[in-house]
Amino acid sequence: MSQPLQCSLCAEVATVHLSQVVGGKVTKVHLCEACAGKGGAVDPAVFQLADALQAPAAAAELTCPRCGFTDVDFRKRGRLGCPACWETFGGALSPLLLKVQPEVAHVGRAPAGTAPLGQLRHRLAAARAALATAIAAEDYEQAAKSRDEIAALEAALKPA
Amino acid sequence: MSVQEILADDQDPARASGAQAVVLSTRIRLARNLAGHPFPGWAKAPQRQEIAERCIAALVDLPRFRRGHVLRMAQEADLDRAVLVERHLVSKELASGQAGAAVISRDQTCSVMVNEEDHLRLQVLRPGWHLRGTWNLAEQLDDALAAALPLAFSERLGYLTACPTNVGTGLRASAMVHLPGLCLAGQMDKVTRALNQDGLAVRGWLGEGTEAAGNIYQVSNQQTLGLAEEDILKHLGFWIKHLVEQEWNARRKLALDEGEKFVDRLARSFGVLRHARLLSSSEAMNMLSHLRLACDLGCLPEALRDQVDRLLIEGQPAHVQVRHGSPLDSDGRDLRRAAVMREALRAFPEVGPPSA
Ligand SMILES: [Zn+2]
Ligand SMILES: [Zn+2]
Repeated sequence: MSQPLQCSLCAEVATVHLSQVVGGKVTKVHLCEACAGKGGAVDPAVFQLADALQAPAAAAELTCPRCGFTDVDFRKRGRLGCPACWETFGGALSPLLLKVQPEVAHVGRAPAGTAPLGQLRHRLAAARAALATAIAAEDYEQAAKSRDEIAALEAALKPA
Repeated sequence: MSVQEILADDQDPARASGAQAVVLSTRIRLARNLAGHPFPGWAKAPQRQEIAERCIAALVDLPRFRRGHVLRMAQEADLDRAVLVERHLVSKELASGQAGAAVISRDQTCSVMVNEEDHLRLQVLRPGWHLRGTWNLAEQLDDALAAALPLAFSERLGYLTACPTNVGTGLRASAMVHLPGLCLAGQMDKVTRALNQDGLAVRGWLGEGTEAAGNIYQVSNQQTLGLAEEDILKHLGFWIKHLVEQEWNARRKLALDEGEKFVDRLARSFGVLRHARLLSSSEAMNMLSHLRLACDLGCLPEALRDQVDRLLIEGQPAHVQVRHGSPLDSDGRDLRRAAVMREALRAFPEVGPPSA
């Protein structure tokens, strides 16, 4: 008798077995009823995630100092343990993130008092473009303004 | 008692008019977490409870939830929880666990799931296609929440979530769309593939499996990091507009090509709903889909569409049982569902040819 397969996304016994062609290669996914019901069966992001999670489980190499969550736990569950886990696992997760997300830098909303790095980078790119336009138009007043903004943004983006 | 109030409430979005011919509803969901606390799936039971009570206490203080509902899943009956799922007020995952709670605004437009996969899942749900207005409400709610609770946020990664598929904006924007034209024309696979390839997920009515009962689908963004909310919304908006056009093209073509056969198909569904003694949930949904299409095309008065939408919800298993007043087995539900449909359609006129 073979062992029952574990769900690719959580620790439950998998009862739904699927394969789908993603990016020209066949991906097999085993899901429990709950995860399959969540829409995993038609969600390509889930397939890609599951694919990455199927790397053979090794001994834990990373542990979140805050909550004790390990990379082995992540491979089992596909979910992190606490917000601080992102500091411990963020780097290791980057390749995985890039499979489901366009870029590993937040550019959206932020709670009052914070400015996400991604947003600063987008503003920096815009300021550089504005500088080039101003110089081409010989608008030196605008060029000076853009230069100041670029300097401020570059300072803000410098790693602490 | 509270679920009963929700069912009785005239403000019920399922009853309120506003759904459109193709888009039934617009939804914005934001995933948020408390800084410094383990996510619900990793927290121990006492921690989960402490987090839940803290979130609930902050939520009930917000003006948006004044005189709203607070529902702790562990205290609600199975059927009442299923009713909430059928109304899209909470997810199946929240309803099936013991640690979760839902705080729902009086008008049922805003709801927050506490201790689902994340500590907080804010949701704004409005009938029809109103992406901008729905987003504005969600943004206000998010601001109010951020002022009341310390949220887990990283300058690099944005809002930190339990699952990597939500990190960043934590935003899932979606439209519930009724696509009988594309389904009848056999184009749904093609459409789904195109949407998937451009970063949109396509799911069924309650987010379950691939089979969409009643030709109803949920279309939502998949990417949450590296894109601003504005761009995510624009992208979804672009595709929904396109989808609505495609759906209308398919409907017009069917009506034109099939003529009387097409009207006959809709009229037969009406006949079944009007006279059947036993109706399964999926059969009822598929027939109601035809009735909805008949309203859109003028084969039935357009004003009846809201009633059809209400029946789509009233025909769901938990609704049938709760309205009946006690649990029913599958046969009992089919009998009761058929009675509900017969009664509701008694006043409907005959299905006629399309109006234009
Ligand atoms: Zn699972
Ligand atoms: Zn952790």
